Amino acid sequence: MNKVIEVNNLIKQYKGMKAPSVDGISFGVEQGEFFAFLGPNGAGKTTTISILTTTLSKTSGEVKIAGFDVEKESRQVREKVGIIFQQPSLDPNLTAEENIRFHACLYGMCGYRPTFKLMPAAYRQKVMELAEIIGIEGALFRPIKKLSGGMQRKLEIIRSLIHTPDVLFLDEPTQGLDAVSRRSLWEYIDDTRRRYGTTVFLTTHYIDEAEKVDKVCIINHGKIAICASPEEMKRTVNFDPTPKICLPSLEDAYIEFLNGGTAA
Amino acid sequence: MSEMTLTRKNSRVFRELNTTLTVMARDITLLFKSPGSLIMSLVMPLIMMGMIGGNLMQNMAGGLGFDFGGFMLVGMLVNMLFMMVSMNMTSLVDDHETDFNQEMLVSPVSRYSLVIGKILGATFGAIVSMAGTLIVGVIMGITLPGGKLLLILALAPLFCLSGGALAMIMIGLIKSKKTANMAVMLITMPQMFLSGAIIPINQSSGVLMVLSRLMPMTYCLDLARAVVYAGSPEYDSMVMFNPVINFTAITVLTVACLIIGTFFYARSEKNR
Repeated sequence: MNKVIEVNNLIKQYKGMKAPSVDGISFGVEQGEFFAFLGPNGAGKTTTISILTTTLSKTSGEVKIAGFDVEKESRQVREKVGIIFQQPSLDPNLTAEENIRFHACLYGMCGYRPTFKLMPAAYRQKVMELAEIIGIEGALFRPIKKLSGGMQRKLEIIRSLIHTPDVLFLDEPTQGLDAVSRRSLWEYIDDTRRRYGTTVFLTTHYIDEAEKVDKVCIINHGKIAICASPEEMKRTVNFDPTPKICLPSLEDAYIEFLNGGTAA
Repeated sequence: MSEMTLTRKNSRVFRELNTTLTVMARDITLLFKSPGSLIMSLVMPLIMMGMIGGNLMQNMAGGLGFDFGGFMLVGMLVNMLFMMVSMNMTSLVDDHETDFNQEMLVSPVSRYSLVIGKILGATFGAIVSMAGTLIVGVIMGITLPGGKLLLILALAPLFCLSGGALAMIMIGLIKSKKTANMAVMLITMPQMFLSGAIIPINQSSGVLMVLSRLMPMTYCLDLARAVVYAGSPEYDSMVMFNPVINFTAITVLTVACLIIGTFFYARSEKNR
Protein backbone atom coordinates (compact mmCIF):
# COMPACT_ATOMS: atom_id res chain seq x y z
CA MET A 1 0.00 0.00 0.00
CA ASN A 2 1.09 3.60 -0.66
CA LYS A 3 2.00 5.85 2.21
CA VAL A 4 -0.28 8.87 2.07
CA ILE A 5 1.35 10.58 5.07
CA GLU A 6 5.12 10.40 5.48
CA VAL A 7 6.81 12.14 8.41
CA ASN A 8 10.57 11.90 8.83
CA ASN A 9 12.45 13.39 11.76
CA LEU A 10 9.99 16.28 12.15
CA ILE A 11 11.05 18.99 14.57
CA LYS A 12 9.06 22.07 15.56
CA GLN A 13 10.34 24.63 18.01
CA TYR A 14 8.11 27.65 18.57
CA LYS A 15 9.69 31.12 18.71
CA GLY A 16 10.89 31.96 22.22
CA MET A 17 10.60 28.38 23.46
CA LYS A 18 13.65 26.62 24.89
CA ALA A 19 12.66 23.10 23.86
CA PRO A 20 11.00 21.76 20.72
CA SER A 21 7.28 20.94 20.95
CA VAL A 22 7.76 18.18 18.40
CA ASP A 23 11.13 16.53 18.73
CA GLY A 24 12.23 14.43 15.77
CA ILE A 25 9.16 12.31 15.19
CA SER A 26 8.81 9.86 12.29
CA PHE A 27 5.82 7.81 11.21
CA GLY A 28 3.80 6.87 8.16
CA VAL A 29 0.11 6.40 7.39
CA GLU A 30 -1.06 4.22 4.56
CA GLN A 31 -3.78 5.08 2.10
CA GLY A 32 -7.26 4.40 3.50
CA GLU A 33 -5.89 3.75 6.97
CA PHE A 34 -7.65 4.89 10.13
CA PHE A 35 -4.84 6.36 12.23
CA ALA A 36 -4.97 7.65 15.79
CA PHE A 37 -2.41 10.07 17.17
CA LEU A 38 -2.77 10.04 20.94
CA GLY A 39 -1.08 11.88 23.74
CA PRO A 40 -1.72 14.07 26.77
CA ASN A 41 -2.34 17.84 26.58
CA GLY A 42 0.71 19.67 25.26
CA ALA A 43 2.30 16.52 23.82
CA GLY A 44 2.56 17.99 20.31
CA LYS A 45 -0.52 16.52 18.59
CA THR A 46 -2.07 19.78 17.35
CA THR A 47 1.36 21.12 16.38
CA THR A 48 1.91 18.02 14.23
CA ILE A 49 -1.55 18.29 12.62
CA SER A 50 -0.97 22.00 11.91
CA ILE A 51 2.29 21.19 10.10
CA LEU A 52 0.70 18.32 8.18
CA THR A 53 -2.12 20.60 7.01
CA THR A 54 0.29 23.43 6.03
CA THR A 55 -1.02 25.95 8.56
CA LEU A 56 2.23 25.93 10.55
CA SER A 57 5.81 25.88 9.32
CA LYS A 58 8.19 23.21 10.57
CA THR A 59 11.64 23.83 12.01
CA SER A 60 13.17 20.84 10.21
CA GLY A 61 12.44 17.38 8.91
CA GLU A 62 10.48 16.06 5.96
CA VAL A 63 6.69 15.84 5.68
CA LYS A 64 4.82 14.59 2.63
CA ILE A 65 1.08 14.25 2.07
CA ALA A 66 0.02 12.15 -0.92
CA GLY A 67 3.60 12.49 -2.18
CA PHE A 68 3.60 16.30 -1.98
CA ASP A 69 5.98 18.23 0.25
CA VAL A 70 4.04 20.35 2.77
CA GLU A 71 6.37 23.34 2.35
CA LYS A 72 7.26 23.27 -1.34
CA GLU A 73 3.94 21.94 -2.67
CA SER A 74 1.56 23.29 -0.06
CA ARG A 75 -1.21 24.06 -2.53
CA GLN A 76 -1.32 20.46 -3.78
CA VAL A 77 -1.33 19.27 -0.17
CA ARG A 78 -4.28 21.55 0.64
CA GLU A 79 -6.18 20.08 -2.30
CA LYS A 80 -5.90 16.65 -0.71
CA VAL A 81 -6.77 17.36 2.90
CA GLY A 82 -9.77 18.26 5.00
CA ILE A 83 -9.54 19.26 8.63
CA ILE A 84 -11.64 19.73 11.70
CA PHE A 85 -9.61 22.06 13.88
CA GLN A 86 -9.46 21.67 17.65
CA GLN A 87 -10.93 25.16 18.05
CA PRO A 88 -14.09 25.97 16.05
CA SER A 89 -13.20 27.92 12.91
CA LEU A 90 -16.66 29.04 11.80
CA ASP A 91 -17.76 32.59 11.08
CA PRO A 92 -20.21 33.25 13.96
CA ASN A 93 -22.03 35.97 12.02
CA LEU A 94 -22.89 33.84 9.00
CA THR A 95 -25.56 31.14 8.94
CA ALA A 96 -24.60 27.48 8.99
CA GLU A 97 -25.29 27.15 5.26
CA GLU A 98 -23.34 30.31 4.43
CA ASN A 99 -20.32 28.82 6.20
CA ILE A 100 -20.61 25.64 4.13
CA ARG A 101 -21.11 27.66 0.92
CA PHE A 102 -17.98 29.69 1.66
CA HIS A 103 -15.96 26.50 2.06
CA ALA A 104 -17.43 24.80 -1.02
CA CYS A 105 -16.62 27.85 -3.17
CA LEU A 106 -13.05 28.11 -1.89
CA TYR A 107 -12.52 24.46 -2.77
CA GLY A 108 -13.87 25.05 -6.28
CA MET A 109 -16.92 22.84 -5.82
CA CYS A 110 -19.20 25.45 -7.34
CA GLY A 111 -19.35 29.07 -8.40
CA TYR A 112 -20.47 31.55 -5.76
CA ARG A 113 -24.13 32.65 -5.73
CA PRO A 114 -25.55 35.12 -3.21
CA THR A 115 -28.31 32.82 -1.90
CA PHE A 116 -28.75 29.10 -1.23
CA LYS A 117 -31.65 28.92 -3.69
CA LEU A 118 -29.41 30.22 -6.48
CA MET A 119 -26.66 27.68 -5.79
CA PRO A 120 -26.33 24.69 -8.16
CA ALA A 121 -28.76 21.81 -7.51
CA ALA A 122 -25.89 19.38 -6.80
CA TYR A 123 -24.62 21.63 -4.02
CA ARG A 124 -28.08 22.05 -2.49
CA GLN A 125 -28.68 18.31 -2.61
CA LYS A 126 -25.32 17.47 -1.02
CA VAL A 127 -25.77 20.02 1.78
CA MET A 128 -29.27 18.79 2.61
CA GLU A 129 -28.10 15.18 2.49
CA LEU A 130 -25.17 15.82 4.84
CA ALA A 131 -27.30 17.97 7.15
CA GLU A 132 -29.85 15.18 7.43
CA ILE A 133 -27.21 12.56 8.23
CA ILE A 134 -25.64 14.71 10.92
CA GLY A 135 -29.04 15.91 12.12
CA ILE A 136 -28.75 19.67 11.68
CA GLU A 137 -31.19 20.21 8.81
CA GLY A 138 -33.34 22.41 11.06
CA ALA A 139 -30.40 24.66 11.92
CA LEU A 140 -28.92 25.17 8.45
CA PHE A 141 -30.22 28.70 8.02
CA ARG A 142 -29.64 29.92 11.56
CA PRO A 143 -26.64 32.08 12.50
CA ILE A 144 -23.76 30.11 14.00
CA LYS A 145 -23.78 32.14 17.20
CA LYS A 146 -27.28 30.83 17.92
CA LEU A 147 -26.24 27.16 17.59
CA SER A 148 -25.06 24.98 20.47
CA GLY A 149 -21.41 23.87 20.63
CA GLY A 150 -22.43 20.38 19.53
CA MET A 151 -24.34 21.72 16.52
CA GLN A 152 -21.34 23.84 15.53
CA ARG A 153 -19.08 20.80 15.70
CA LYS A 154 -21.45 18.85 13.47
CA LEU A 155 -21.47 21.71 11.00
CA GLU A 156 -17.68 21.71 10.90
CA ILE A 157 -17.82 18.02 10.05
CA ILE A 158 -20.15 18.66 7.09
CA ARG A 159 -17.90 21.47 5.96
CA SER A 160 -14.72 19.40 6.12
CA LEU A 161 -16.28 16.58 4.11
CA ILE A 162 -18.10 18.52 1.40
CA HIS A 163 -15.06 18.51 -0.88
CA THR A 164 -14.46 14.76 -0.25
CA PRO A 165 -10.81 15.01 0.87
CA ASP A 166 -8.36 12.13 0.43
CA VAL A 167 -7.01 12.65 3.94
CA LEU A 168 -9.23 13.85 6.77
CA PHE A 169 -7.57 15.32 9.86
CA LEU A 170 -9.75 15.28 12.94
CA ASP A 171 -8.28 17.21 15.86
CA GLU A 172 -10.41 16.17 18.83
CA PRO A 173 -13.57 16.17 16.72
CA THR A 174 -16.00 14.96 19.36
CA GLN A 175 -14.93 17.36 22.08
CA GLY A 176 -18.11 18.78 23.64
CA LEU A 177 -20.47 16.41 21.82
CA ASP A 178 -23.08 14.34 23.62
CA ALA A 179 -23.05 10.53 23.35
CA VAL A 180 -25.75 10.39 20.66
CA SER A 181 -23.99 12.98 18.51
CA ARG A 182 -20.66 11.23 18.96
CA ARG A 183 -22.14 7.95 17.78
CA SER A 184 -23.85 9.50 14.73
CA LEU A 185 -20.65 11.33 13.84
CA TRP A 186 -18.58 8.15 13.94
CA GLU A 187 -21.15 6.27 11.92
CA TYR A 188 -20.93 8.98 9.29
CA ILE A 189 -17.12 9.02 9.28
CA ASP A 190 -17.03 5.21 9.00
CA ASP A 191 -19.46 5.41 6.09
CA THR A 192 -17.31 8.06 4.38
CA ARG A 193 -14.21 5.89 4.82
CA ARG A 194 -15.99 2.90 3.31
CA ARG A 195 -17.45 4.89 0.43
CA TYR A 196 -14.45 7.01 -0.59
CA GLY A 197 -11.47 5.20 0.97
CA THR A 198 -10.66 8.35 2.95
CA THR A 199 -7.58 8.20 5.16
CA VAL A 200 -8.46 9.46 8.64
CA PHE A 201 -5.91 10.98 11.01
CA LEU A 202 -7.47 11.34 14.44
CA THR A 203 -6.41 12.93 17.70
CA THR A 204 -8.68 12.45 20.67
CA HIS A 205 -8.73 12.26 24.43
CA TYR A 206 -11.55 9.68 24.29
CA ILE A 207 -9.35 6.61 23.98
CA ASP A 208 -12.33 4.34 23.32
CA GLU A 209 -12.76 6.16 19.97
CA ALA A 210 -9.35 4.83 18.94
CA GLU A 211 -10.19 1.17 19.73
CA LYS A 212 -11.25 0.48 16.15
CA VAL A 213 -8.39 2.28 14.37
CA ASP A 214 -5.82 0.46 12.24
CA LYS A 215 -2.78 2.05 13.88
CA VAL A 216 -2.04 4.13 16.97
CA CYS A 217 0.92 6.40 17.64
CA ILE A 218 1.40 7.77 21.13
CA ILE A 219 3.28 11.04 21.42
CA ASN A 220 4.56 12.34 24.74
CA HIS A 221 6.80 15.37 25.36
CA GLY A 222 7.17 15.78 21.59
CA LYS A 223 8.50 12.26 21.02
CA ILE A 224 6.79 9.14 19.71
CA ALA A 225 6.47 6.58 22.50
CA ILE A 226 5.07 3.78 20.35
CA CYS A 227 3.44 3.15 16.96
CA ALA A 228 1.44 -0.08 16.69
CA SER A 229 -2.00 -1.50 16.11
CA PRO A 230 -4.33 -1.34 19.14
CA GLU A 231 -4.10 -5.13 19.49
CA GLU A 232 -0.28 -5.08 19.45
CA MET A 233 -0.28 -2.31 22.03
CA LYS A 234 -2.57 -4.22 24.33
CA ARG A 235 -0.41 -7.34 24.00
CA THR A 236 2.84 -5.60 24.87
CA VAL A 237 1.65 -3.85 27.98
CA ASN A 238 2.06 -5.05 31.57
CA PHE A 239 -1.49 -5.27 32.86
CA ASP A 240 -2.66 -6.23 36.27
CA PRO A 241 -6.40 -6.36 36.02
CA THR A 242 -8.72 -6.39 38.98
CA PRO A 243 -10.74 -8.57 38.79
CA LYS A 244 -8.45 -10.90 36.84
CA ILE A 245 -11.03 -11.73 34.18
CA CYS A 246 -10.59 -8.30 32.47
CA LEU A 247 -8.62 -7.87 29.27
CA PRO A 248 -6.53 -4.71 28.87
CA SER A 249 -8.26 -1.95 26.96
CA LEU A 250 -6.47 0.49 24.67
CA GLU A 251 -6.86 3.08 27.41
CA ASP A 252 -4.99 0.81 29.86
CA ALA A 253 -2.17 0.41 27.32
CA TYR A 254 -2.15 4.15 26.63
CA ILE A 255 -1.79 5.07 30.29
CA GLU A 256 0.88 2.41 30.77
CA PHE A 257 2.96 3.86 27.91
CA LEU A 258 2.56 7.42 29.15
CA ASN A 259 3.67 6.36 32.62
CA GLY A 260 6.75 4.78 31.09
CA GLY A 261 5.63 1.25 31.99
CA THR A 262 7.65 -1.69 30.72
CA ALA A 263 6.28 -3.75 27.93
CA ALA A 264 5.81 -7.44 28.53
CA MET B 1 -34.40 12.63 -6.39
CA SER B 2 -31.78 11.81 -9.00
CA GLU B 3 -28.17 11.55 -7.80
CA MET B 4 -26.23 14.70 -8.67
CA THR B 5 -22.53 14.89 -8.07
CA LEU B 6 -20.65 17.87 -6.75
CA THR B 7 -17.26 17.85 -8.41
CA ARG B 8 -14.27 20.11 -8.13
CA LYS B 9 -13.60 22.55 -10.96
CA ASN B 10 -10.05 22.28 -12.23
CA SER B 11 -9.62 25.69 -13.90
CA ARG B 12 -7.14 27.66 -11.81
CA VAL B 13 -8.45 31.00 -13.10
CA PHE B 14 -12.03 30.07 -12.18
CA ARG B 15 -10.95 28.94 -8.72
CA GLU B 16 -9.03 32.15 -7.96
CA LEU B 17 -11.73 34.48 -9.30
CA ASN B 18 -14.40 32.50 -7.48
CA THR B 19 -12.37 32.77 -4.26
CA THR B 20 -12.05 36.54 -4.60
CA LEU B 21 -15.78 36.82 -5.28
CA THR B 22 -16.67 34.56 -2.35
CA VAL B 23 -14.46 36.40 0.14
CA MET B 24 -15.77 39.75 -1.12
CA ALA B 25 -19.40 38.58 -0.90
CA ARG B 26 -18.85 37.37 2.66
CA ASP B 27 -17.65 40.80 3.79
CA ILE B 28 -20.58 42.51 2.07
CA THR B 29 -23.02 40.04 3.68
CA LEU B 30 -21.46 40.77 7.07
CA LEU B 31 -21.84 44.51 6.49
CA PHE B 32 -25.57 44.09 5.82
CA LYS B 33 -25.90 41.89 8.90
CA SER B 34 -24.30 44.57 11.03
CA PRO B 35 -26.43 47.72 10.73
CA GLY B 36 -24.04 49.49 13.10
CA SER B 37 -21.19 49.24 10.57
CA LEU B 38 -23.47 50.47 7.79
CA ILE B 39 -24.61 53.45 9.89
CA MET B 40 -20.96 54.14 10.78
CA SER B 41 -20.13 54.26 7.07
CA LEU B 42 -22.72 56.99 6.64
CA VAL B 43 -21.91 58.90 9.84
CA MET B 44 -18.16 59.14 9.18
CA PRO B 45 -18.63 61.59 6.28
CA LEU B 46 -20.68 63.79 8.57
CA ILE B 47 -17.69 64.09 10.87
CA MET B 48 -14.99 64.29 8.22
CA MET B 49 -16.71 66.38 5.56
CA GLY B 50 -19.32 68.19 7.65
CA MET B 51 -17.35 69.07 10.75
CA ILE B 52 -13.66 69.12 9.78
CA GLY B 53 -14.28 70.28 6.20
CA GLY B 54 -16.99 72.75 7.20
CA ASN B 55 -14.76 74.31 9.84
CA LEU B 56 -11.86 74.66 7.41
CA MET B 57 -14.14 76.25 4.81
CA GLN B 58 -15.49 78.79 7.24
CA ASN B 59 -12.20 79.73 8.89
CA MET B 60 -9.44 79.13 6.38
CA ALA B 61 -10.68 79.07 2.80
CA GLY B 62 -11.26 82.81 2.38
CA GLY B 63 -7.84 83.96 1.13
CA LEU B 64 -6.75 80.89 -0.78
CA GLY B 65 -7.62 82.20 -4.24
CA PHE B 66 -9.37 78.99 -5.38
CA ASP B 67 -12.60 77.11 -4.75
CA PHE B 68 -11.70 75.34 -1.52
CA GLY B 69 -15.05 73.57 -1.37
CA GLY B 70 -14.49 71.66 -4.62
CA PHE B 71 -10.86 70.97 -3.69
CA MET B 72 -11.91 69.57 -0.33
CA LEU B 73 -14.80 67.50 -1.67
CA VAL B 74 -12.47 65.55 -3.99
CA GLY B 75 -9.98 65.20 -1.13
CA MET B 76 -12.62 63.94 1.26
CA LEU B 77 -14.04 61.48 -1.28
CA VAL B 78 -10.66 59.82 -1.77
CA ASN B 79 -9.74 60.15 1.91
CA MET B 80 -13.02 58.49 2.90
CA LEU B 81 -12.30 55.57 0.56
CA PHE B 82 -8.85 55.06 2.08
CA MET B 83 -10.08 55.50 5.65
CA MET B 84 -13.07 53.17 5.40
CA VAL B 85 -11.18 50.49 3.48
CA SER B 86 -8.48 50.50 6.18
CA MET B 87 -11.10 50.34 8.93
CA ASN B 88 -12.97 47.51 7.22
CA MET B 89 -9.74 45.59 6.68
CA THR B 90 -9.46 45.15 10.46
CA SER B 91 -12.07 42.40 10.04
CA LEU B 92 -9.02 40.25 9.27
CA VAL B 93 -8.14 40.56 12.95
CA ASP B 94 -11.67 39.40 13.85
CA ASP B 95 -11.09 36.43 11.55
CA HIS B 96 -7.90 35.68 13.44
CA GLU B 97 -9.67 35.90 16.79
CA THR B 98 -12.49 33.55 15.69
CA ASP B 99 -9.98 31.22 13.96
CA PHE B 100 -11.79 31.76 10.67
CA ASN B 101 -8.41 32.70 9.19
CA GLN B 102 -7.41 29.05 9.58
CA GLU B 103 -10.36 28.04 7.43
CA MET B 104 -9.27 30.45 4.71
CA LEU B 105 -5.56 29.64 4.90
CA VAL B 106 -5.99 25.88 4.76
CA SER B 107 -7.93 26.15 1.49
CA PRO B 108 -6.08 25.43 -1.79
CA VAL B 109 -6.17 28.96 -3.18
CA SER B 110 -3.73 31.81 -3.64
CA ARG B 111 -3.27 34.12 -0.66
CA TYR B 112 -3.53 37.03 -3.09
CA SER B 113 -7.06 35.95 -4.05
CA LEU B 114 -8.01 35.96 -0.36
CA VAL B 115 -6.47 39.37 0.30
CA ILE B 116 -7.89 40.99 -2.85
CA GLY B 117 -11.30 39.55 -1.94
CA LYS B 118 -11.00 41.10 1.52
CA ILE B 119 -10.06 44.47 0.04
CA LEU B 120 -12.93 44.39 -2.46
CA GLY B 121 -15.33 43.45 0.33
CA ALA B 122 -14.03 46.38 2.36
CA THR B 123 -14.50 48.56 -0.73
CA PHE B 124 -18.27 48.19 -0.52
CA GLY B 125 -18.44 49.91 2.87
CA ALA B 126 -16.07 52.57 1.57
CA ILE B 127 -18.33 53.29 -1.43
CA VAL B 128 -21.24 53.73 1.00
CA SER B 129 -19.13 56.33 2.82
CA MET B 130 -18.34 57.96 -0.49
CA ALA B 131 -22.07 58.32 -1.10
CA GLY B 132 -22.43 59.78 2.39
CA THR B 133 -19.69 62.31 1.62
CA LEU B 134 -21.52 63.39 -1.53
CA ILE B 135 -24.77 63.83 0.42
CA VAL B 136 -23.01 65.96 3.06
CA GLY B 137 -21.40 67.91 0.18
CA VAL B 138 -24.80 68.62 -1.34
CA ILE B 139 -26.07 69.84 2.05
CA MET B 140 -23.01 72.15 2.24
CA GLY B 141 -23.65 73.36 -1.30
CA ILE B 142 -20.63 71.60 -2.84
CA THR B 143 -21.31 69.39 -5.87
CA LEU B 144 -19.46 67.77 -8.76
CA PRO B 145 -20.66 67.44 -12.37
CA GLY B 146 -22.33 64.05 -12.99
CA GLY B 147 -19.85 62.89 -15.65
CA LYS B 148 -16.82 63.66 -13.46
CA LEU B 149 -18.47 61.97 -10.52
CA LEU B 150 -18.98 58.83 -12.57
CA LEU B 151 -15.31 58.88 -13.56
CA ILE B 152 -14.29 59.12 -9.88
CA LEU B 153 -16.68 56.29 -9.10
CA ALA B 154 -15.04 54.22 -11.84
CA LEU B 155 -11.63 54.90 -10.27
CA ALA B 156 -12.87 54.15 -6.72
CA PRO B 157 -12.07 50.39 -6.80
CA LEU B 158 -8.49 51.20 -7.83
CA PHE B 159 -8.17 53.71 -5.00
CA CYS B 160 -9.64 51.19 -2.55
CA LEU B 161 -7.30 48.47 -3.74
CA SER B 162 -4.43 50.87 -3.17
CA GLY B 163 -5.64 51.85 0.31
CA GLY B 164 -6.41 48.26 1.27
CA ALA B 165 -3.00 47.03 0.10
CA LEU B 166 -1.29 49.70 2.21
CA ALA B 167 -3.41 48.77 5.24
CA MET B 168 -2.48 45.09 4.77
CA ILE B 169 1.16 45.85 5.53
CA MET B 170 0.22 46.67 9.13
CA ILE B 171 -3.00 44.73 9.64
CA GLY B 172 -1.48 41.52 8.26
CA LEU B 173 0.90 41.47 11.20
CA ILE B 174 -1.55 42.46 13.94
CA LYS B 175 -3.36 39.94 16.12
CA SER B 176 -5.46 42.15 18.43
CA LYS B 177 -8.43 44.33 17.53
CA LYS B 178 -7.28 47.13 19.84
CA THR B 179 -3.87 47.34 18.15
CA ALA B 180 -5.52 47.10 14.73
CA ASN B 181 -7.74 50.11 15.48
CA MET B 182 -4.70 52.09 16.55
CA ALA B 183 -2.86 51.01 13.41
CA VAL B 184 -5.73 52.27 11.26
CA MET B 185 -5.40 55.72 12.84
CA LEU B 186 -1.66 55.53 12.27
CA ILE B 187 -2.20 54.76 8.59
CA THR B 188 -5.07 57.13 7.82
CA MET B 189 -4.37 60.31 9.80
CA PRO B 190 -0.89 61.10 8.39
CA GLN B 191 -2.16 60.36 4.90
CA MET B 192 -5.03 62.80 5.23
CA PHE B 193 -2.63 65.64 5.97
CA LEU B 194 0.43 64.60 3.97
CA SER B 195 -1.34 63.54 0.78
CA GLY B 196 -3.24 66.78 0.27
CA ALA B 197 -6.78 65.66 1.04
CA ILE B 198 -7.72 68.89 2.78
CA ILE B 199 -4.55 70.99 2.65
CA PRO B 200 -2.71 71.69 -0.64
CA ILE B 201 0.79 70.16 -0.66
CA ASN B 202 2.22 71.87 -3.76
CA GLN B 203 4.64 73.81 -1.56
CA SER B 204 5.68 70.92 0.71
CA SER B 205 9.43 70.38 0.98
CA GLY B 206 11.99 68.29 2.87
CA VAL B 207 10.81 65.29 4.86
CA LEU B 208 7.14 66.17 4.39
CA MET B 209 7.54 66.17 0.63
CA VAL B 210 9.39 62.82 0.68
CA LEU B 211 6.70 61.29 2.89
CA SER B 212 3.91 62.60 0.69
CA ARG B 213 5.54 61.09 -2.40
CA LEU B 214 5.73 57.68 -0.69
CA MET B 215 2.01 57.59 0.02
CA PRO B 216 -0.25 56.01 -2.57
CA MET B 217 -3.07 58.36 -1.58
CA THR B 218 -1.08 61.35 -2.90
CA TYR B 219 -1.27 59.91 -6.43
CA CYS B 220 -4.89 58.77 -6.02
CA LEU B 221 -5.91 62.27 -4.97
CA ASP B 222 -3.93 63.87 -7.76
CA LEU B 223 -5.51 61.52 -10.32
CA ALA B 224 -9.00 62.29 -8.97
CA ARG B 225 -8.29 66.02 -9.17
CA ALA B 226 -6.90 65.62 -12.70
CA VAL B 227 -10.28 64.07 -13.65
CA VAL B 228 -12.29 66.82 -11.93
CA TYR B 229 -10.22 69.79 -13.13
CA ALA B 230 -9.45 68.51 -16.65
CA GLY B 231 -9.99 71.34 -19.14
CA SER B 232 -10.42 73.99 -16.45
CA PRO B 233 -8.09 76.99 -15.90
CA GLU B 234 -7.34 75.77 -12.35
CA TYR B 235 -5.89 72.45 -13.63
CA ASP B 236 -2.22 73.51 -13.38
CA SER B 237 -2.53 74.85 -9.85
CA MET B 238 -4.59 71.89 -8.58
CA VAL B 239 -2.84 68.92 -10.23
CA MET B 240 0.79 68.11 -9.48
CA PHE B 241 1.59 65.20 -11.83
CA ASN B 242 0.66 63.93 -15.25
CA PRO B 243 -2.19 61.35 -14.91
CA VAL B 244 0.05 58.72 -16.50
CA ILE B 245 2.61 59.26 -13.74
CA ASN B 246 -0.17 59.08 -11.14
CA PHE B 247 -1.55 55.87 -12.59
CA THR B 248 1.92 54.30 -12.80
CA ALA B 249 2.78 55.33 -9.23
CA ILE B 250 -0.54 53.97 -7.93
CA THR B 251 0.01 50.66 -9.72
CA VAL B 252 3.61 50.25 -8.56
CA LEU B 253 2.88 51.21 -4.93
CA THR B 254 -0.28 49.06 -4.81
CA VAL B 255 1.47 45.98 -6.20
CA ALA B 256 4.41 46.50 -3.80
CA CYS B 257 2.11 46.94 -0.79
CA LEU B 258 -0.02 43.96 -1.84
CA ILE B 259 3.01 41.67 -2.13
CA ILE B 260 4.48 42.80 1.20
CA GLY B 261 1.11 42.83 3.02
CA THR B 262 0.09 39.38 1.74
CA PHE B 263 3.49 37.98 2.64
CA PHE B 264 3.18 39.35 6.19
CA TYR B 265 -0.38 38.04 6.51
CA ALA B 266 0.43 34.50 5.38
CA ARG B 267 3.71 34.40 7.28
CA SER B 268 2.36 35.76 10.58
CA GLU B 269 -0.20 32.96 10.72
CA LYS B 270 2.24 30.24 9.73
CA ASN B 271 5.53 31.23 11.37
CA ARG B 272 5.00 30.96 15.07
